[in-house]
Amino acid sequence: MSGKALLNIKDVYKSFGINEVLKGISLDLNEGEVLALIGGNGAGKSTLMKIIMGIYQHDRGEIFVRGEKVTSNKTSAALANGIYMVPQEPMLFPNMTVKENIVIGFNKKNSELHKELTDLMKEVGWNLDLSRKASSLSIAEQQMVEILRGLLRHAQILILDEPTSALTFDEVQSLFKSVNELKAKGIGIIYITHRLAEVFEIATDVAIMRDGKIPLRGEVSEFTREALVRGLLPPDAQDKENDIRENLKEVDYSAKPVFELQNFSGYGFTDISLKVYPGEILGLAGVIGAGRTELATTVFGKDKVLGGKAILEGKDITGLSTKKVMEAGLNYVPEDRHYHGLFKLSDVAANTTSAMLGEKPMGNFLLNRKEEYRMTQKYIDDFRIKVTGQDQAVGSLSGGNQQKVVIGRSLSTSPKLVILDEPTRGIDAAARGDVYAIIHQLRNQGVSVLLISSDMEEIVELSDRVMTVCQGRINGEFKGEDINQDNLMAASFGITKDTEVGA
Amino acid sequence: MKRLLKMRELSSFLFLIALFVIVGIMNPSFLSAENIIACFNESVVYIIISVGMAFAIIVGEIDVSVGANLGFTATVVSCMLRDGQNWALAFVVGIMIGVLFGLFNGWGVAVMGVPSLIFTLGTNGVMRGMMYVYTGGAWVENLPADFKALYTNTLVGDISVCFAVTAIVVVIVHLLLKNTKRGRYFTAVGDNPGGATLVGIPAVRTKVAAYVICGVFAAISGIVFSSRIGFITATSGSGYEMKAVAACVLGGISLSGGVGSVIGASIGAVIMASISRLLVFMQLGSTYDNTITGVMLITIVVADALMQKNTAEKNRRERLAARTAVQGKGEM
Amino acid sequence: MNKSFSTKVKQFLRSWEMVLLCILVLEFIIFGSVNAKFLKPALLFNSMNDFMSICIISLFVTFVMITGGIDIQAGSIVGLTSIIIGVAWQDFGFNIWNAAVLAVCVAALCGALSGFFVAYCGVQAMVVTLGGQFLYAGIALLVSNLASTASYQGISGFPDYFKIVSKFKFFGIIPSQLVIFLVLTVVAYIVLHRSKYGRSIFLVGVNQQAAEYSGINTRAVIMSTYVLSAISASVAGVVLTAYLGTAKSDLGANFTLNIITAVVLGGTLSTGGKGNVIGTALASMVIGLLRFGLPLCFKVGTQYLDIPVGILLLVVVLGRSLSSHPSTANLLAKFRKGKQAQ
Repeated sequence: MSGKALLNIKDVYKSFGINEVLKGISLDLNEGEVLALIGGNGAGKSTLMKIIMGIYQHDRGEIFVRGEKVTSNKTSAALANGIYMVPQEPMLFPNMTVKENIVIGFNKKNSELHKELTDLMKEVGWNLDLSRKASSLSIAEQQMVEILRGLLRHAQILILDEPTSALTFDEVQSLFKSVNELKAKGIGIIYITHRLAEVFEIATDVAIMRDGKIPLRGEVSEFTREALVRGLLPPDAQDKENDIRENLKEVDYSAKPVFELQNFSGYGFTDISLKVYPGEILGLAGVIGAGRTELATTVFGKDKVLGGKAILEGKDITGLSTKKVMEAGLNYVPEDRHYHGLFKLSDVAANTTSAMLGEKPMGNFLLNRKEEYRMTQKYIDDFRIKVTGQDQAVGSLSGGNQQKVVIGRSLSTSPKLVILDEPTRGIDAAARGDVYAIIHQLRNQGVSVLLISSDMEEIVELSDRVMTVCQGRINGEFKGEDINQDNLMAASFGITKDTEVGA
Repeated sequence: MKRLLKMRELSSFLFLIALFVIVGIMNPSFLSAENIIACFNESVVYIIISVGMAFAIIVGEIDVSVGANLGFTATVVSCMLRDGQNWALAFVVGIMIGVLFGLFNGWGVAVMGVPSLIFTLGTNGVMRGMMYVYTGGAWVENLPADFKALYTNTLVGDISVCFAVTAIVVVIVHLLLKNTKRGRYFTAVGDNPGGATLVGIPAVRTKVAAYVICGVFAAISGIVFSSRIGFITATSGSGYEMKAVAACVLGGISLSGGVGSVIGASIGAVIMASISRLLVFMQLGSTYDNTITGVMLITIVVADALMQKNTAEKNRRERLAARTAVQGKGEM
Repeated sequence: MNKSFSTKVKQFLRSWEMVLLCILVLEFIIFGSVNAKFLKPALLFNSMNDFMSICIISLFVTFVMITGGIDIQAGSIVGLTSIIIGVAWQDFGFNIWNAAVLAVCVAALCGALSGFFVAYCGVQAMVVTLGGQFLYAGIALLVSNLASTASYQGISGFPDYFKIVSKFKFFGIIPSQLVIFLVLTVVAYIVLHRSKYGRSIFLVGVNQQAAEYSGINTRAVIMSTYVLSAISASVAGVVLTAYLGTAKSDLGANFTLNIITAVVLGGTLSTGGKGNVIGTALASMVIGLLRFGLPLCFKVGTQYLDIPVGILLLVVVLGRSLSSHPSTANLLAKFRKGKQAQ
């Protein structure tokens, strides 16, 4: 594609503390291009976008907009430079009208703005009732409003962050139509997505982001799906053999399953059926937003069950309260550690024992401090949690140690099945190894594990059997040799080879 | 949405009319023009203070120091007038007091990030004490008669000048708030603070401005209060903060911010101010005043919260449901 | 847990309670040196009777604020309790003890109602308790109208065995109100800091979502704190009525500022999750002595007393927000690092 250069990013680095998120990113966007940016969770895409928008400041490297170097690091400067980002979750003012949402922040007269806006809408061919309240809009419509906001600011660089993740099929089609219209107008678009199919449908160029770098980029026509999938995987992906697994006990698949879902449906997932056997680690692979977390929290009594059954050791636990589910012998390590897992102001002991407060050993009315101490010390020793003492506030621990505390908490109720949701997200390599050791230890003790992860390497390393989730449904089951990152990645991104469908 | 917003105000207005009609049915002598106009005339102080409060609540905060603000301004202005000072000077001083109140509260809440209820509660205590310091606990009396006449002067019919002016001001403020760029900032900041920053709205400055406006209106209500009552005691204005909050809630302003208008607040203020009068006509006596206020306040906020909770939940579920629907259609 | 005694002492010396204790001592020194009367045990103890109800309520409002809520209705419940006792005893022929029990039960119901709206309907605590303030004060006024005596006069003439609740002096000097307060402090301490229920209050306050995921019934916990604070307000109402010998519907009407200040000054985070009964108890004593000492030693009129209390509140909240401000926090961290390096 040969338009005028809109955006050039040269060798940008960014670290948060000791955690290096961007390791030398270079990227170009020209007029009339749609650049698809794909990559796994945590690859650094959103950090890069926030730097472009001036929300974060980069450490090293240069950014040029239309050939001019960006010096100011403010959101307002980015807006003035004609850059606009449509966030994944639209940030509208729910109680304002569509029109007010679009024109807010402008210095012009109302009538002028109105004319410009109606002209603009005619030009892109969209039909939106401007007097509707934003809270009554569908997600697709909210995204249109966000795009209009950007266009009315004469944005020439539009960033769409996973715009289709919450859209229905028809809405996706109308969004694509709009994107094509904008492309024709010479606007450059950075299109972040998880869905490979969309890349071929809408993008002119593609860049793959992995681990803070861009190892592959070029025109879409140069790539095949398989090539993209390969690009998403670490280069040494195939070489790793799982020697740890060989030392482990075989799973007895003739035994009665510990946990079973039968046509389980809820908000965000439909018709899920699966079985977990005693001492088995079942991997549930899929990208974030595929409905895995919703599945886990619904089983855990946090949301309404729409259909089907959940059975734990022969007992129907469908729709029970969280407390009852825990008592029945299931516990959950939440995906969002900070929001759902940790009591940051409280000490390690209070965190570890929070799930067993209701149980007898912790005392009848008064807290049994001895038991609290014993349990906490057990997990501190077993999991090698680095603390200055049991009374250290959990908020001051490192991410890995925090995660160990949360895992300890969910094991304190001696569950028969643990659901681990992204157990190693955002923690360093050493802690990751410790967490893996804990998971293996559990397996050896006969505890079953349902491992939810978007990290395919993790799934391959740990799982005895894997199911993939895509857009709220199970779309593949893999055993033995078939468990490799290629297969899993492809299935998670919705590409299913015929032979593997129908699990 | 204009329709919807209007509906919030409209329902408050209908509620007001319904109140009048019900009382009228119970006691037909209530429904005289004289009486109804008196209801509006007597609510001027409440209207002004509630309009100011509306700004604080619309940006998602609260200001419970308006009662002390009213009392303090009333005290200072009354003293100046009693001592024969220039009226214009007295009014300017009064309004400056309001500005200072607003700046201080705005600084504490928006800049320093102290929870607004706790901070303004502290301001309220301090300033109420300062009233005692200023007057030594004595009443301020013997205000000039023509100052007191300000409140009682009437225009056509029995409508007081004061009410007419207030009504015009409220309409102007309403139009400014709804139709100007900066006016919309207030609603935007209360509606979605994160989103406001993203489109370049200065959230902190807007909040400080809201507090200053709130302070100024409370100060003006203090001046009107002096004119109406004619003497100031050490407890003048206490409890007005709560009534102003109640008036805003009755007028359809959401306490989570971003929703509501000053016209709504004014209607709520008329309801609040009329309750005692209504109770008298219902032969209940004004002792029911607080009880009725409390019941109305709690009912409205609970209903509002439940409705919001339901919409939020519905939206979330629709979003999640949309995800699974994609493939359903895609497979075809 | 198994810390040596000396580290425990060190910890205490660095705690906020220690600061409060110092302020308390300072108050004694300053007020005592200005006016020696201040230190007269009889006078000092006697003065405590005037603010003990605030101390008692503050203890349990701490529970509410630890969950992240706020309770500004407690003052109105004091009046409601008082007038229910008076009317039930004088006009409905209740035995005075039964009247008191009835009042406490009504107060518990009031707390439960507000707590229900906060916990189960998700309304902001501030608004609900604001409405509650109106409602319960209003009901108190209505109840007072049932009495044969005019409401501004109050109801008096209670039997001596009732008044003795607050008038008794242990060893001829220590007022029973103080003893009641100390006992309640111990109870509140055990419940909040030593019991499983108290632990769940903290956990809910730190992170309600995480508490849900730990299987804690967070709504019930939140609601229960409002019931407890209402009950404590009604106990304060009983004690105050017995002390004054008069039941009035507007008792406690101006307690709110003092209660919130005591809780915040005591070290409770206004955003919840952190707090301490001992801190609240000490802070309420600090405020109480201030209210006694300033008029006695500096001739400050009692009407002015909201000024120092209000300033105290503002200074504490501003100081706390300053210290948590990123720039100051960085500075402090650097300072600590520097110290460690040495």
